[in-house]
Amino acid sequence: MKVSSRLVFWSALALLVLGLPMLLTSDYHMRLANLVGINIIIVLGLNFVLGYAGLLSFAQVGFFLIGAYAGGILTVDYGLSFWLALPLAGLSAGFGAWIVGIPTLRLRGHYFAFATFAFAEIVRLIALNWTEFTHGASGIIGIPSPSLLWFEINTDTSFYYLVLAFVVLGIVVAGRIEKSSVGRALFAIREGELAAESMGIMTARMKTQAFILSAVYAGVAGALYGPLNSVISPDAFSFDVSVVVLVALLLGGSGSIVGAVVGTALVTLLPEWLRVLQDYYMVVYGAGIVLLMVFLPSGIVGAVHTMLDRYRLRDLPEPAVKQEVGR
Amino acid sequence: MLQLLFNGVAIGCIYALIAFGFVLIYNAVGAVNFAQGDLLMVGSYLGVLGVVGLGWPLLPTTFLVLAGSALVGLAFQAFAYYPLRDKPTINVVISCLGAGIFLRNGIQALVGPEPYTMAPFMPIEVVNVYGVAIPSQSLAVIVITAVILAAQSWFFSFTSLGRMLRATANDKYAARLCGIPVKKMIALTFVVSTVLAGLAGFMLVPVFLASPNMGFGLIVKAWIGVIVGGFGSLPGAVVGGIMVGVLETFSAKFISSAYKDVITMGLLMIVLFVRPQGLFKGTVSEKV
Repeated sequence: MKVSSRLVFWSALALLVLGLPMLLTSDYHMRLANLVGINIIIVLGLNFVLGYAGLLSFAQVGFFLIGAYAGGILTVDYGLSFWLALPLAGLSAGFGAWIVGIPTLRLRGHYFAFATFAFAEIVRLIALNWTEFTHGASGIIGIPSPSLLWFEINTDTSFYYLVLAFVVLGIVVAGRIEKSSVGRALFAIREGELAAESMGIMTARMKTQAFILSAVYAGVAGALYGPLNSVISPDAFSFDVSVVVLVALLLGGSGSIVGAVVGTALVTLLPEWLRVLQDYYMVVYGAGIVLLMVFLPSGIVGAVHTMLDRYRLRDLPEPAVKQEVGR
Repeated sequence: MLQLLFNGVAIGCIYALIAFGFVLIYNAVGAVNFAQGDLLMVGSYLGVLGVVGLGWPLLPTTFLVLAGSALVGLAFQAFAYYPLRDKPTINVVISCLGAGIFLRNGIQALVGPEPYTMAPFMPIEVVNVYGVAIPSQSLAVIVITAVILAAQSWFFSFTSLGRMLRATANDKYAARLCGIPVKKMIALTFVVSTVLAGLAGFMLVPVFLASPNMGFGLIVKAWIGVIVGGFGSLPGAVVGGIMVGVLETFSAKFISSAYKDVITMGLLMIVLFVRPQGLFKGTVSEKV
């Protein structure tokens, strides 16, 4: 793309995103747009771990819970302002990641996936059972809306711009990290951990950093989710959420920021479009995940890249010898 | 006390059977089968179909569970694993997860979310052993598990098919060079693993009820058993599974039943910290 056409594309996109509240007439659709935004932040976080470092993590829902509960407890029980509770929520989620990451990220393979899974369950059980601190099964009720100077952010439309600001911030930070030495180190770990280690990359430390980063994203998303919904309870943070964010990233394209955004939007809106299926929606969803893995293993972004490459290289002669790959 | 121990060992046996299936598949294809609990659930429902639905006695129902599980295992690997055999492990794992969601919700769409139950395998509720009252189903689970484990140990050590399966798990490439049909062996591994899960599911129904989402809580415990025992080790999976069952039962009794899962997962974290290779494995190493 030339500079001018690129500029046109981005300004059109910016206009669309900023003007979305005018296109969506009902509160319900506005709420969905907000949920898409919050999910994008969680998936962008997951992208550091799964997309860049190639580690399977089920912990995102646990950090999301920690963020939501930290935000809820601090604002409701301790009367803190949203703007103070939000960074604290991110920090507490990051701290959780540090605790889980230290024993498990030294190890390879599936230990990490298991530990993240167990962690998410532990966190949910504690939120359910430690009634004095977390309000137990009934959850935290009446989480106040944030206010900016004299303006109270209490409608879905105003909340949309708050979420949008954090999504943009998340994308910018992720983009910077992708191009930094940390991002390159993580890519190296994904492609071959042993090789990365022998090149002098401190793999355990890099992986822990990526994991903490992913937790901070999910924690911030949680702190946003609380005031949006005004109620949080443990059953909103089941294992299904972890599956949804994993599927979102893999559908969009693991390792790509655009993929994370596109995939999340699709997966969050899909249940709305497939309402006709009713009880069979989850059956189709399960089968869809299998089909996705079989036919779109590198996601939408990966498939588009393959197509573009094929288009660009259309005039080149076919390679004389086709290399046999795999066993 | 002794009664508690028996119950713990019985539930541990169920974990052990699931854990065993996990390790079989992990060793063969290098991926963790996240649908193992849902395959178990299918076994439970096959048992309910036989005993409650058709009114069959236990023995024909057992054959129904065996045959049905074998078919499900075969279909499972054909759709969820085989097309992905050359793709990264993460894709296989997610695909298994999707297949699990499919099974869980498929059963729910077919028969509804209400749980089913059936009578214990033995006509009496409680067996008296030296003055200790033991639930008969716990005893049945322990005995049947012992028989299954003895049978598999014979199968993997002394039959040529079992040896071929082990060779495949050990090194696919070398196994193929020796003329072992690797593709069939992997399919068979899935079948064996599904049948073990299906039998565990069948035995579980009188104690735990059959419901579409039953598998989830069970596989978490089975995994913890796998790691405590040592990833990849079959005896480790069995011992680890039983340990988790006993620990869970005792902590529910003496500490808090609300936190029993937190305590078992705490055990997982401690093992990962102190002895990450598990109890039954030498070192954690990696093929380069």
